[in-house]
Amino acid sequence: MKQLFIAFIVLTLGLLAYSTYQALYVAPTEQTMGDVQRIFYYHVPSAWTAGVCFLVNFLASVVYLWKRNTASDALAAASAEVGMTFCTIVLITGPIWARPVWGIWWTWDARLTTTLVLWLIYVSYLMLRRFSAGGQTQVLAAALAIFGFVDVPIVYMSIRWFRTQHPSPVMGGGENSGLDPVMLQAFFWNLLSFTCVGIVLMVLRYRLQRLEENVEAKHAAVALQGGSR
Amino acid sequence: MTGPEALKAAYIVTWVVLLGYLGTLLGRFRKVREEMKDLKRNP
Repeated sequence: MKQLFIAFIVLTLGLLAYSTYQALYVAPTEQTMGDVQRIFYYHVPSAWTAGVCFLVNFLASVVYLWKRNTASDALAAASAEVGMTFCTIVLITGPIWARPVWGIWWTWDARLTTTLVLWLIYVSYLMLRRFSAGGQTQVLAAALAIFGFVDVPIVYMSIRWFRTQHPSPVMGGGENSGLDPVMLQAFFWNLLSFTCVGIVLMVLRYRLQRLEENVEAKHAAVALQGGSR
Repeated sequence: MTGPEALKAAYIVTWVVLLGYLGTLLGRFRKVREEMKDLKRNP
């Protein structure tokens, strides 16, 4: 299993190198925005990966509330943290892209605001897990994760439901949407590589969570032994 | 901020955030493994 994971990490690194090459050198320069449009190849896959992580967090939280097993709780904790990392990238690369194109760093339009709210929801989730004392932390976290996930489809649909400064959907957005085939190819390579990075980070974070739980259990056992002497 | 500067900044920030997070994870792994060793040595 460990060797398989190492092989997956090597594959991910190869994919990352190739997808970055595709984004920077193979994809054609966009006519209106110029080279700055290449931020798209990191910005959108980061948003996609964050969405996938939050979906995993949602499913793991549902399973935890249903079965109460520690493995699904650990997966929920891992996916929330990794998802928040990718969401942070989205919230930083977005304004960096917006500044030369829109002339502003930020605007309170529906897409940007709902994404910021999404990030704040998962910051709250992680803070709840970190600082809440008592035996109900996992249950409260799972409940917050389920309610928090409601914002993910809202973020996705916001550019369809509202008129926003943020561009309309590039794919699946109607007759006038679509990408140049070479751009699409570069985009899918980056989507794949970012998804793989997300999986690698989630597996690592999950293992860390399990190890930490193990250490905590041993500390508790030692404390109990000490108390009974 | 010009277009090429923004492109460079966005790609650098992405890598800094990802590598920074990976570094944090590896640091936490090391700390937990040390704690495990301590617990095994002094049960």
